[in-house]
Amino acid sequence: MSPETASDDAALVRAAQRGDRDAFGTLVARYAPAILSVTSRMLGSTSDAEDMAQETFVAAYQALERFQFDASFKTWLYRIAMNKCTDSLRRRRPDTVPFEDGGSDSAAAATIPDLETPHWEYEQVELAWQLDQAVQALPPLYRESFVLKHIEGLDYDEMSHILGVHRDTLKMRVYKARTLLCRSLAHLEGAHR
Amino acid sequence: MTGDRTNMSEPDQLAQRFVDQELSAEERLQLLARLGHDEPLRTALLSLEHLAFDSARLPRPAVPAGFVGDVLRRTALASTEASGGHQARMNPFLKPRVLHWNLASAMALAAAAVLVVAVAMTGQAARFANDTSAIVSAPALTPDSPAMLVRLIIMQPDAKAVAVAGDFNGWNPTRTPLERLSGDAWAVTIPLRPGRYEYMFVVDGDRWVADPFATERRDDGFGSENAVLDVRPMVTPL
Repeated sequence: MSPETASDDAALVRAAQRGDRDAFGTLVARYAPAILSVTSRMLGSTSDAEDMAQETFVAAYQALERFQFDASFKTWLYRIAMNKCTDSLRRRRPDTVPFEDGGSDSAAAATIPDLETPHWEYEQVELAWQLDQAVQALPPLYRESFVLKHIEGLDYDEMSHILGVHRDTLKMRVYKARTLLCRSLAHLEGAHR
Repeated sequence: MTGDRTNMSEPDQLAQRFVDQELSAEERLQLLARLGHDEPLRTALLSLEHLAFDSARLPRPAVPAGFVGDVLRRTALASTEASGGHQARMNPFLKPRVLHWNLASAMALAAAAVLVVAVAMTGQAARFANDTSAIVSAPALTPDSPAMLVRLIIMQPDAKAVAVAGDFNGWNPTRTPLERLSGDAWAVTIPLRPGRYEYMFVVDGDRWVADPFATERRDDGFGSENAVLDVRPMVTPL
Protein backbone atom coordinates (compact mmCIF):
# COMPACT_ATOMS: atom_id res chain seq x y z
CA MET A 1 0.00 0.00 0.00
CA SER A 2 1.34 3.40 -0.93
CA PRO A 3 1.88 6.03 1.79
CA GLU A 4 -0.72 8.16 0.01
CA THR A 5 -3.34 5.41 0.26
CA ALA A 6 -2.51 4.78 3.93
CA SER A 7 -2.80 8.47 4.66
CA ASP A 8 -6.05 8.69 2.75
CA ASP A 9 -7.36 5.64 4.63
CA ALA A 10 -6.53 7.26 7.95
CA ALA A 11 -8.35 10.44 6.94
CA LEU A 12 -11.38 8.42 5.83
CA VAL A 13 -11.39 6.39 9.03
CA ARG A 14 -11.25 9.56 11.13
CA ALA A 15 -14.09 11.03 9.10
CA ALA A 16 -16.08 7.82 9.49
CA GLN A 17 -15.43 7.86 13.23
CA ARG A 18 -17.00 11.31 13.27
CA GLY A 19 -20.06 9.89 11.54
CA ASP A 20 -19.29 10.59 7.88
CA ARG A 21 -21.34 7.99 6.04
CA ASP A 22 -19.77 8.59 2.65
CA ALA A 23 -16.29 8.15 4.12
CA PHE A 24 -17.16 4.71 5.43
CA GLY A 25 -18.84 3.86 2.14
CA THR A 26 -15.65 4.80 0.34
CA LEU A 27 -13.64 2.51 2.58
CA VAL A 28 -16.08 -0.34 1.96
CA ALA A 29 -15.91 0.19 -1.78
CA ARG A 30 -12.13 0.36 -1.68
CA TYR A 31 -11.60 -2.87 0.24
CA ALA A 32 -14.61 -4.95 -0.78
CA PRO A 33 -12.69 -6.74 -3.56
CA ALA A 34 -9.88 -7.77 -1.20
CA ILE A 35 -12.16 -8.85 1.62
CA LEU A 36 -14.50 -10.74 -0.70
CA SER A 37 -11.46 -12.42 -2.21
CA VAL A 38 -10.28 -13.84 1.12
CA THR A 39 -13.75 -14.85 2.28
CA SER A 40 -14.33 -16.60 -1.04
CA ARG A 41 -11.06 -18.51 -0.85
CA MET A 42 -11.71 -19.47 2.75
CA LEU A 43 -15.39 -20.42 2.51
CA GLY A 44 -15.82 -21.55 -1.09
CA SER A 45 -19.51 -20.80 -1.37
CA THR A 46 -20.21 -17.52 -3.14
CA SER A 47 -23.22 -16.65 -1.01
CA ASP A 48 -21.40 -17.49 2.24
CA ALA A 49 -18.41 -15.43 1.12
CA GLU A 50 -20.55 -12.40 0.34
CA ASP A 51 -22.39 -12.67 3.65
CA MET A 52 -19.10 -12.95 5.50
CA ALA A 53 -17.61 -9.99 3.66
CA GLN A 54 -20.63 -7.91 4.60
CA GLU A 55 -20.40 -9.07 8.20
CA THR A 56 -16.74 -8.07 8.20
CA PHE A 57 -17.56 -4.50 7.25
CA VAL A 58 -20.47 -4.30 9.67
CA ALA A 59 -18.19 -5.53 12.49
CA ALA A 60 -15.55 -3.02 11.43
CA TYR A 61 -18.10 -0.24 11.54
CA GLN A 62 -19.26 -1.27 14.98
CA ALA A 63 -15.69 -1.35 16.25
CA LEU A 64 -14.53 1.71 14.36
CA GLU A 65 -14.23 3.90 17.42
CA ARG A 66 -11.72 1.43 18.86
CA PHE A 67 -9.47 1.46 15.79
CA GLN A 68 -6.17 2.84 17.06
CA PHE A 69 -4.23 3.33 13.83
CA ASP A 70 -1.49 0.99 15.03
CA ALA A 71 -2.02 -1.06 11.88
CA SER A 72 -3.35 -0.22 8.46
CA PHE A 73 -7.10 -0.23 8.03
CA LYS A 74 -6.75 -2.92 5.39
CA THR A 75 -4.77 -5.17 7.74
CA TRP A 76 -7.40 -4.62 10.41
CA LEU A 77 -10.15 -5.62 7.97
CA TYR A 78 -8.25 -8.74 6.98
CA ARG A 79 -7.98 -9.71 10.65
CA ILE A 80 -11.70 -9.30 11.20
CA ALA A 81 -12.47 -11.26 8.02
CA MET A 82 -10.13 -14.11 8.90
CA ASN A 83 -11.51 -14.38 12.42
CA LYS A 84 -15.03 -14.54 11.06
CA CYS A 85 -14.10 -17.15 8.46
CA THR A 86 -12.37 -19.26 11.11
CA ASP A 87 -15.45 -19.09 13.34
CA SER A 88 -17.66 -20.01 10.40
CA LEU A 89 -15.52 -22.99 9.43
CA ARG A 90 -15.52 -24.23 13.02
CA ARG A 91 -19.31 -24.06 13.10
CA ARG A 92 -19.66 -26.12 9.94
CA ARG A 93 -20.20 -29.81 10.24
CA PRO A 94 -17.44 -31.70 8.47
CA ASP A 95 -19.81 -33.05 5.84
CA THR A 96 -20.86 -29.56 4.83
CA VAL A 97 -17.39 -28.19 4.20
CA PRO A 98 -17.22 -27.86 0.41
CA PHE A 99 -13.67 -29.05 0.02
CA GLU A 100 -14.19 -30.84 -3.26
CA ASP A 101 -17.73 -30.06 -4.22
CA GLY A 102 -17.43 -29.21 -7.86
CA GLY A 103 -21.16 -29.12 -8.33
CA SER A 104 -21.98 -26.39 -5.85
CA ASP A 105 -21.98 -22.68 -6.42
CA SER A 106 -18.27 -22.76 -5.63
CA ALA A 107 -17.67 -24.08 -9.12
CA ALA A 108 -15.67 -21.55 -10.98
CA ALA A 109 -16.75 -20.10 -14.26
CA ALA A 110 -15.43 -17.44 -16.52
CA THR A 111 -15.82 -16.11 -19.99
CA ILE A 112 -13.19 -16.45 -22.63
CA PRO A 113 -12.01 -12.96 -23.43
CA ASP A 114 -10.20 -13.54 -26.72
CA LEU A 115 -11.47 -15.69 -29.54
CA GLU A 116 -8.18 -15.50 -31.34
CA THR A 117 -6.62 -17.81 -28.78
CA PRO A 118 -9.53 -19.81 -27.41
CA HIS A 119 -7.49 -22.89 -26.58
CA TRP A 120 -4.97 -20.92 -24.57
CA GLU A 121 -7.71 -19.00 -22.82
CA TYR A 122 -9.56 -22.20 -22.03
CA GLU A 123 -6.42 -23.62 -20.46
CA GLN A 124 -6.06 -20.52 -18.32
CA VAL A 125 -9.65 -20.83 -17.13
CA GLU A 126 -9.20 -24.49 -16.33
CA LEU A 127 -5.91 -23.84 -14.55
CA ALA A 128 -7.52 -21.12 -12.42
CA TRP A 129 -10.41 -23.44 -11.62
CA GLN A 130 -8.13 -26.34 -10.67
CA LEU A 131 -5.98 -24.07 -8.52
CA ASP A 132 -9.01 -22.55 -6.84
CA GLN A 133 -10.37 -26.00 -6.04
CA ALA A 134 -7.00 -27.16 -4.73
CA VAL A 135 -6.68 -24.10 -2.48
CA GLN A 136 -10.13 -24.72 -1.05
CA ALA A 137 -9.20 -28.33 -0.36
CA LEU A 138 -6.30 -27.26 1.88
CA PRO A 139 -6.72 -27.61 5.63
CA PRO A 140 -7.98 -24.25 6.92
CA LEU A 141 -4.80 -23.32 8.78
CA TYR A 142 -2.68 -23.82 5.68
CA ARG A 143 -5.32 -22.27 3.47
CA GLU A 144 -5.50 -18.98 5.36
CA SER A 145 -1.72 -18.62 5.34
CA PHE A 146 -1.43 -19.44 1.65
CA VAL A 147 -4.28 -17.11 0.67
CA LEU A 148 -2.79 -14.16 2.49
CA LYS A 149 0.73 -14.84 1.25
CA HIS A 150 0.24 -15.77 -2.38
CA ILE A 151 -3.20 -14.58 -3.41
CA GLU A 152 -3.36 -11.37 -1.41
CA GLY A 153 0.38 -10.77 -1.65
CA LEU A 154 1.04 -9.91 2.00
CA ASP A 155 4.38 -10.34 3.74
CA TYR A 156 4.93 -12.50 6.79
CA ASP A 157 4.93 -9.57 9.22
CA GLU A 158 1.54 -8.40 7.99
CA MET A 159 0.25 -11.97 8.15
CA SER A 160 1.55 -12.33 11.68
CA HIS A 161 -0.33 -9.20 12.69
CA ILE A 162 -3.54 -10.42 11.05
CA LEU A 163 -3.49 -14.01 12.29
CA GLY A 164 -1.73 -13.48 15.61
CA VAL A 165 0.73 -16.24 14.82
CA HIS A 166 4.52 -16.05 14.85
CA ARG A 167 5.98 -15.44 11.41
CA ASP A 168 8.12 -18.57 11.54
CA THR A 169 5.03 -20.68 12.16
CA LEU A 170 3.35 -18.98 9.24
CA LYS A 171 6.30 -19.74 7.00
CA MET A 172 5.99 -23.39 7.88
CA ARG A 173 2.26 -23.37 7.13
CA VAL A 174 2.86 -21.66 3.80
CA TYR A 175 5.55 -24.19 2.99
CA LYS A 176 3.23 -27.09 3.74
CA ALA A 177 0.45 -25.48 1.72
CA ARG A 178 2.78 -25.02 -1.24
CA THR A 179 3.95 -28.61 -0.99
CA LEU A 180 0.37 -29.94 -0.92
CA LEU A 181 -0.66 -27.72 -3.80
CA CYS A 182 2.33 -28.67 -5.94
CA ARG A 183 1.44 -32.31 -5.38
CA SER A 184 -2.25 -31.90 -6.17
CA LEU A 185 -1.54 -29.81 -9.28
CA ALA A 186 1.33 -31.94 -10.56
CA HIS A 187 -0.87 -33.38 -13.30
CA LEU A 188 -1.09 -29.90 -14.84
CA GLU A 189 2.65 -29.60 -15.28
CA GLY A 190 3.39 -29.12 -18.94
CA ALA A 191 -0.25 -29.21 -19.91
CA HIS A 192 -1.09 -25.62 -19.08
CA ARG A 193 2.16 -23.96 -18.33
CA MET B 1 13.44 -19.88 10.69
CA THR B 2 15.55 -22.63 9.29
CA GLY B 3 14.86 -24.68 12.40
CA ASP B 4 11.23 -24.93 11.36
CA ARG B 5 12.19 -26.55 8.11
CA THR B 6 14.41 -29.32 9.38
CA ASN B 7 12.10 -31.96 7.91
CA MET B 8 12.57 -30.64 4.40
CA SER B 9 14.99 -32.08 1.97
CA GLU B 10 17.84 -29.75 1.24
CA PRO B 11 16.67 -28.94 -2.33
CA ASP B 12 13.14 -28.28 -1.05
CA GLN B 13 14.44 -26.02 1.66
CA LEU B 14 16.51 -24.04 -0.79
CA ALA B 15 13.59 -23.74 -3.20
CA GLN B 16 11.21 -22.62 -0.47
CA ARG B 17 13.63 -20.00 0.78
CA PHE B 18 14.16 -18.81 -2.79
CA VAL B 19 10.42 -18.33 -3.31
CA ASP B 20 10.22 -16.44 -0.04
CA GLN B 21 13.18 -14.29 -1.15
CA GLU B 22 15.14 -15.21 1.93
CA LEU B 23 18.40 -16.20 0.28
CA SER B 24 21.46 -14.05 0.66
CA ALA B 25 23.23 -12.91 -2.50
CA GLU B 26 25.84 -15.60 -1.97
CA GLU B 27 23.22 -18.32 -1.50
CA ARG B 28 21.43 -17.17 -4.64
CA LEU B 29 24.62 -17.53 -6.64
CA GLN B 30 25.20 -21.01 -5.27
CA LEU B 31 21.61 -21.95 -6.07
CA LEU B 32 21.82 -20.70 -9.63
CA ALA B 33 25.09 -22.56 -10.15
CA ARG B 34 23.40 -25.80 -9.02
CA LEU B 35 20.34 -25.49 -11.22
CA GLY B 36 22.15 -26.68 -14.34
CA HIS B 37 22.90 -30.13 -12.95
CA ASP B 38 20.50 -30.60 -10.03
CA GLU B 39 17.24 -31.91 -11.49
CA PRO B 40 15.30 -32.28 -8.18
CA LEU B 41 16.17 -28.73 -7.21
CA ARG B 42 15.20 -27.40 -10.63
CA THR B 43 11.90 -29.26 -10.57
CA ALA B 44 11.04 -28.11 -7.04
CA LEU B 45 11.90 -24.53 -7.82
CA LEU B 46 9.94 -24.47 -11.07
CA SER B 47 6.83 -25.96 -9.45
CA LEU B 48 6.90 -23.46 -6.61
CA GLU B 49 7.45 -20.51 -8.90
CA HIS B 50 4.58 -21.64 -11.14
CA LEU B 51 2.35 -21.97 -8.10
CA ALA B 52 3.21 -18.50 -6.79
CA PHE B 53 2.78 -16.96 -10.23
CA ASP B 54 -0.57 -18.62 -10.94
CA SER B 55 -1.91 -17.89 -7.46
CA ALA B 56 -1.16 -14.19 -7.76
CA ARG B 57 -3.12 -14.11 -11.03
CA LEU B 58 -6.24 -15.90 -9.78
CA PRO B 59 -9.23 -13.74 -10.69
CA ARG B 60 -10.91 -12.04 -7.80
CA PRO B 61 -14.61 -12.72 -7.40
CA ALA B 62 -16.90 -9.93 -8.52
CA VAL B 63 -18.25 -7.63 -5.89
CA PRO B 64 -22.01 -7.72 -6.44
CA ALA B 65 -23.79 -4.53 -7.38
CA GLY B 66 -25.30 -2.96 -4.30
CA PHE B 67 -22.70 -4.43 -1.94
CA VAL B 68 -21.76 -1.08 -0.40
CA GLY B 69 -25.38 -0.07 -0.05
CA ASP B 70 -26.19 -3.38 1.62
CA VAL B 71 -23.33 -2.92 4.10
CA LEU B 72 -24.45 0.61 4.94
CA ARG B 73 -28.01 -0.57 5.46
CA ARG B 74 -26.79 -3.31 7.77
CA THR B 75 -24.65 -0.86 9.74
CA ALA B 76 -27.66 1.39 10.06
CA LEU B 77 -29.77 -1.50 11.26
CA ALA B 78 -27.10 -2.56 13.74
CA SER B 79 -26.89 0.98 15.07
CA THR B 80 -30.64 1.22 15.37
CA GLU B 81 -30.80 -2.02 17.31
CA ALA B 82 -27.94 -0.90 19.55
CA SER B 83 -29.44 2.49 20.32
CA GLY B 84 -33.10 1.58 20.43
CA GLY B 85 -33.89 3.85 17.56
CA HIS B 86 -32.94 7.15 19.16
CA GLN B 87 -29.53 7.29 17.61
CA ALA B 88 -31.04 6.51 14.25
CA ARG B 89 -32.60 9.93 14.20
CA MET B 90 -29.36 11.63 15.13
CA ASN B 91 -26.55 9.74 13.45
CA PRO B 92 -25.73 11.02 9.99
CA PHE B 93 -24.71 7.45 9.07
CA LEU B 94 -28.32 6.47 9.20
CA LYS B 95 -29.74 8.93 6.75
CA PRO B 96 -31.25 7.00 3.86
CA ARG B 97 -28.97 7.69 0.96
CA VAL B 98 -27.94 5.70 -2.04
CA LEU B 99 -24.27 5.21 -2.64
CA HIS B 100 -23.73 4.12 -6.20
CA TRP B 101 -21.41 1.17 -6.49
CA ASN B 102 -20.53 -0.48 -9.70
CA LEU B 103 -17.27 -2.30 -10.33
CA ALA B 104 -15.50 -1.43 -13.51
CA SER B 105 -16.59 -3.99 -16.00
CA ALA B 106 -13.16 -4.75 -17.30
CA MET B 107 -13.68 -8.49 -17.41
CA ALA B 108 -17.07 -8.21 -19.06
CA LEU B 109 -15.69 -5.78 -21.57
CA ALA B 110 -12.91 -8.21 -22.31
CA ALA B 111 -15.49 -10.94 -22.71
CA ALA B 112 -16.89 -9.22 -25.75
CA ALA B 113 -14.89 -10.54 -28.61
CA VAL B 114 -14.21 -8.32 -31.54
CA LEU B 115 -15.69 -10.31 -34.38
CA VAL B 116 -18.44 -8.41 -36.10
CA VAL B 117 -21.37 -10.34 -37.43
CA ALA B 118 -24.68 -9.35 -38.91
CA VAL B 119 -27.34 -11.05 -36.90
CA ALA B 120 -30.93 -10.36 -36.05
CA MET B 121 -31.68 -10.46 -32.37
CA THR B 122 -35.05 -11.02 -30.78
CA GLY B 123 -34.64 -9.47 -27.38
CA GLN B 124 -37.19 -10.27 -24.73
CA ALA B 125 -37.94 -8.82 -21.37
CA ALA B 126 -35.89 -10.32 -18.58
CA ARG B 127 -38.12 -12.75 -16.75
CA PHE B 128 -35.77 -13.04 -13.84
CA ALA B 129 -34.63 -9.46 -13.58
CA ASN B 130 -35.80 -7.68 -10.50
CA ASP B 131 -35.86 -4.37 -12.30
CA THR B 132 -35.55 -4.76 -16.02
CA SER B 133 -35.79 -1.08 -16.72
CA ALA B 134 -32.10 -0.56 -16.19
CA ILE B 135 -31.10 -3.37 -18.49
CA VAL B 136 -30.77 -2.69 -22.16
CA SER B 137 -31.83 -6.10 -23.30
CA ALA B 138 -31.65 -5.63 -27.06
CA PRO B 139 -30.54 -2.30 -28.41
CA ALA B 140 -31.63 -1.46 -31.89
CA LEU B 141 -29.36 -2.80 -34.55
CA THR B 142 -27.80 0.03 -36.46
CA PRO B 143 -24.68 0.29 -38.59
CA ASP B 144 -23.01 1.86 -35.55
CA SER B 145 -23.81 -1.02 -33.23
CA PRO B 146 -22.83 -4.28 -34.92
CA ALA B 147 -23.25 -7.51 -33.06
CA MET B 148 -20.25 -8.88 -31.21
CA LEU B 149 -19.40 -12.50 -30.63
CA VAL B 150 -19.31 -13.28 -26.94
CA ARG B 151 -17.98 -16.59 -25.72
CA LEU B 152 -19.23 -17.94 -22.41
CA ILE B 153 -17.49 -20.78 -20.64
CA ILE B 154 -18.21 -22.59 -17.40
CA MET B 155 -16.58 -25.49 -15.58
CA GLN B 156 -19.17 -28.15 -14.77
CA PRO B 157 -17.47 -31.54 -14.57
CA ASP B 158 -20.53 -33.56 -13.61
CA ALA B 159 -23.12 -31.95 -15.88
CA LYS B 160 -24.87 -33.84 -18.65
CA ALA B 161 -26.10 -30.66 -20.32
CA VAL B 162 -25.51 -26.95 -19.82
CA ALA B 163 -27.34 -24.02 -21.38
CA VAL B 164 -27.35 -20.29 -20.87
CA ALA B 165 -30.53 -18.30 -20.37
CA GLY B 166 -30.72 -14.56 -20.32
CA ASP B 167 -32.11 -11.35 -21.69
CA PHE B 168 -30.76 -12.27 -25.10
CA ASN B 169 -32.87 -15.43 -25.54
CA GLY B 170 -36.02 -14.69 -23.59
CA TRP B 171 -34.69 -16.60 -20.58
CA ASN B 172 -35.32 -19.82 -22.43
CA PRO B 173 -33.37 -22.58 -20.59
CA THR B 174 -33.08 -24.80 -23.67
CA ARG B 175 -32.60 -22.34 -26.49
CA THR B 176 -28.85 -21.73 -26.15
CA PRO B 177 -27.04 -24.93 -25.20
CA LEU B 178 -23.33 -24.97 -24.42
CA GLU B 179 -21.03 -27.44 -26.08
CA ARG B 180 -18.83 -29.67 -23.99
CA LEU B 181 -15.16 -29.00 -24.55
CA SER B 182 -12.45 -31.42 -23.58
CA GLY B 183 -12.27 -31.88 -19.83
CA ASP B 184 -14.75 -30.19 -17.55
CA ALA B 185 -15.56 -27.05 -19.54
CA TRP B 186 -18.68 -26.10 -21.46
CA ALA B 187 -18.77 -23.18 -23.87
CA VAL B 188 -20.93 -21.32 -26.34
CA THR B 189 -20.38 -18.34 -28.61
CA ILE B 190 -23.32 -15.99 -29.04
CA PRO B 191 -23.76 -12.80 -31.06
CA LEU B 192 -24.82 -9.82 -28.97
CA ARG B 193 -25.23 -6.20 -29.82
CA PRO B 194 -23.73 -3.65 -27.44
CA GLY B 195 -25.74 -3.39 -24.28
CA ARG B 196 -26.16 -4.88 -20.84
CA TYR B 197 -27.54 -8.36 -20.48
CA GLU B 198 -28.38 -10.54 -17.49
CA TYR B 199 -27.91 -14.27 -17.68
CA MET B 200 -27.55 -17.51 -15.72
CA PHE B 201 -26.32 -20.94 -16.65
CA VAL B 202 -28.79 -23.83 -16.55
CA VAL B 203 -27.27 -27.19 -15.64
CA ASP B 204 -29.05 -30.41 -16.53
CA GLY B 205 -32.20 -28.51 -17.38
CA ASP B 206 -33.23 -27.47 -13.90
CA ARG B 207 -30.29 -26.18 -11.88
CA TRP B 208 -29.77 -22.44 -12.30
CA VAL B 209 -26.14 -21.52 -11.64
CA ALA B 210 -24.85 -18.00 -11.20
CA ASP B 211 -21.56 -17.08 -12.81
CA PRO B 212 -19.33 -16.58 -9.75
CA PHE B 213 -16.68 -14.74 -11.72
CA ALA B 214 -19.04 -12.23 -13.29
CA THR B 215 -17.89 -8.70 -12.64
CA GLU B 216 -21.39 -7.49 -11.87
CA ARG B 217 -24.48 -9.17 -10.58
CA ARG B 218 -28.06 -8.21 -9.87
CA ASP B 219 -30.66 -9.64 -7.56
CA ASP B 220 -33.01 -11.77 -9.64
CA GLY B 221 -35.89 -11.47 -7.21
CA PHE B 222 -35.91 -15.22 -6.65
CA GLY B 223 -33.19 -15.40 -4.02
CA SER B 224 -30.31 -15.68 -6.42
CA GLU B 225 -28.34 -13.34 -8.61
CA ASN B 226 -28.03 -12.93 -12.33
CA ALA B 227 -24.67 -12.16 -13.89
CA VAL B 228 -24.57 -8.95 -15.84
CA LEU B 229 -22.70 -8.89 -19.13
CA ASP B 230 -21.73 -5.48 -20.40
CA VAL B 231 -21.07 -5.71 -24.13
CA ARG B 232 -19.33 -2.63 -25.42
CA PRO B 233 -19.11 -1.63 -29.08
CA MET B 234 -15.86 -2.27 -30.80
CA VAL B 235 -13.72 0.84 -31.02
CA THR B 236 -12.39 1.27 -34.52
CA PRO B 237 -9.24 3.27 -35.10
CA LEU B 238 -9.71 6.63 -36.78
